[in-house]
Amino acid sequence: MGNISKKIVRLTAAVGLLSATALPTFAATEINVIGFGAGFAWSDLFGASGTEKTQKLLDFEAKYDIVINMEFADEEVARQKVLLDLVNGTGNYDLVMLGSDGAVQTFSAAGYLEPLDDYLSSATDVFDASKVYQPFLEANTVNGKLWGLPYYSFGAGVVYRKDIFDKYGITSFPETTEGLEQALQTIKEGLAADGMDDVYPLTMRGAPGEEPSLDLSGFVYAYAGYPAWFEGGPTTPDEIKEKKAQPIFNGDFKPGFETFVRWSRDYGPPGIATHTWVDMMNLYAQGKAVVLMPSAINAFAGIPGSEVPEVKEHSAFAPSPVGPSGKAVQSFWTFSIGVSAFSENKDAAYKALAFLTSEPVLRDFANSFGWPYTTYPEIMNSPTLTERWPAEMLSQIEASFSEADPHYFPYIPELVEFMDQIGTAASSSIAGTTSVDESLDDLQSWASERMTRAGYYK
Amino acid sequence: MLTDWRFWFSVPAVLALGVVVLFPTGFLFWMSVSHWILTEPGVYFYGFQNFATLLNSSAFHSAAWVTVSYLVLSTTIMLGLGFAFALALSRPGSPGYLRALIVMPLVIPPVVAGFTWRFLLNGEIGFLGAYLLPAIGLETNLLASPVGALFSIVIADVWSRTPFMFLIFLAALQSIPRDYYEAIRLDGAKRFQEFWLVTLPMMKGAVSVAILFRIIDALNTFELIYVMTKGGPGRATQTFSLLGWKIAFQGFDFGGAAALGVVMVFATTIVALIVFRRFMRSA
Repeated sequence: MGNISKKIVRLTAAVGLLSATALPTFAATEINVIGFGAGFAWSDLFGASGTEKTQKLLDFEAKYDIVINMEFADEEVARQKVLLDLVNGTGNYDLVMLGSDGAVQTFSAAGYLEPLDDYLSSATDVFDASKVYQPFLEANTVNGKLWGLPYYSFGAGVVYRKDIFDKYGITSFPETTEGLEQALQTIKEGLAADGMDDVYPLTMRGAPGEEPSLDLSGFVYAYAGYPAWFEGGPTTPDEIKEKKAQPIFNGDFKPGFETFVRWSRDYGPPGIATHTWVDMMNLYAQGKAVVLMPSAINAFAGIPGSEVPEVKEHSAFAPSPVGPSGKAVQSFWTFSIGVSAFSENKDAAYKALAFLTSEPVLRDFANSFGWPYTTYPEIMNSPTLTERWPAEMLSQIEASFSEADPHYFPYIPELVEFMDQIGTAASSSIAGTTSVDESLDDLQSWASERMTRAGYYK
Repeated sequence: MLTDWRFWFSVPAVLALGVVVLFPTGFLFWMSVSHWILTEPGVYFYGFQNFATLLNSSAFHSAAWVTVSYLVLSTTIMLGLGFAFALALSRPGSPGYLRALIVMPLVIPPVVAGFTWRFLLNGEIGFLGAYLLPAIGLETNLLASPVGALFSIVIADVWSRTPFMFLIFLAALQSIPRDYYEAIRLDGAKRFQEFWLVTLPMMKGAVSVAILFRIIDALNTFELIYVMTKGGPGRATQTFSLLGWKIAFQGFDFGGAAALGVVMVFATTIVALIVFRRFMRSA
């Protein structure tokens, strides 16, 4: 009996000890997140490999009794995983990666996201929406509700090689698209005369798919003076339905589209019809492009790693040029995170989201990468960035946020599909497979059929 | 039949087949006649509307053209190269390291192969595209020109998948009894006649199997094209499989994508039947 009593006592002690250590773990709410690129935005939380947990993250988890399980993936893979997870309503991911060029619009319309407005007041000690650049929140707002919080965002601008501009007698960066085209022609002729046949006046993105559409739509906006996708420029489903606004891809959309295609063909590298943001970044970093626009951030992503001294020493920023309408060429985007409508732990998920997009966390991001882009004015105007970049450049970039029109393309549920069709049409025309008119006629008939099928013109 | 105890041994296999093959196929057919678009709430019976929309779209027509061109080009080259390599290396005493060398690309994942060829052919920084091809007078940027891009994915695919053909043909060649060759030589046949009268007829079965595998493989090729060109420039390399992905993941139209899947199932079945009748029966 004595032995048995001892065994019972030992067993009880072991179970008690196990419970004492295990209980906090069981009590913590697990929040699964899927995001882009290990080592990108949150390397100070998850390490460069994306599989670690730093003390800062552990402190947050302990304080709020939350465990954040982060899964990083390539952008396309992450997008598809998010889509499949949401379509199947699994709730496997509590927090999902979003982009303001389609995912926010589509998923919010489908009811797959949780509106965040009511949560904003629940974790103000972690996240304060009033401190974020408001256009980035606006870009995540659909039908008056906020669906995602931004962590990586940018406005339009131009990064160019000042030394090459100077060499060919262009002393200041043109303020208009007309002036810029003249400058590109001068540079093209100068480069040809100097036998520099592997340096191109311009790099943009023209790959098939949604990629070019963000920048191309910015050209359309600058030339037409409004988001010229549908008659009169409506940007919401209700407006389109109310006015029965038909697509105008072979109407006011054309001048901007035609300019984007012509500039790509005449001043871009030979492979531009297949180029993504990675290609435009690499070309600029390798010193093979003089101007990168209008998503200037892609140049800043390449400059730090450039092995060409001139790229590091002579790169300059200029505001995006103004088109014939008087409005600037746009390129405005936010990478954001939203709460899945199928999450079983929405409150905890929001707290984790608030933390991931909070000012201290994104200050670490800005500190690690040093790019002159951030979602907080407080970071933009702090030594984190002011010690690295000229004040004038930072204020111009800041102006590109405040002066942007986040709705320079319509916010409709079908946006992803439209972006894909528009980008592919541009790629076709840049490659010479189809003329601008043929591409736009095809786009027009596709859009008419698609909008009719979606019930916009009942 | 039900009273025969042996029948019941086949039940688990039939059930497994039903779950693994029949259910997904049935689900695909059901999806193809359903209105299932993420941006338009509600899943309901849609008749053949998905098929009508698909068959009337210019994207489908261009994808059909690209798929057929890609399939015919790559299959022809692969068959020729695979057969030639197999003939050259089937003889006793042919160096084993050459066989290993030829088979090597097969173990490289298509995604890696795609990235490798994309960088090699890149017109601005690629070893082939930016330096070697211009050095021999070919200035064109292959990946950015519609015809060049199609040839590029064919080249990459041939490099990646020819070893599979080679293995099929090598196995078939080595299984032809030597007696046949000895007999025809006794009749005074020359090398070409040996090939024409013995090798080729004996290879019909292997050729049909290779073609069948190839057709299925070509229709399903996705990663390589996606990585190399993403279907571009424009739609120049957008095959059925890429179009299906776009309809599902860019258009969020799962019914439309399923309709394309059904079209592909029928197309593959018809071609497979033709190949089977043409080669297998006579073999």
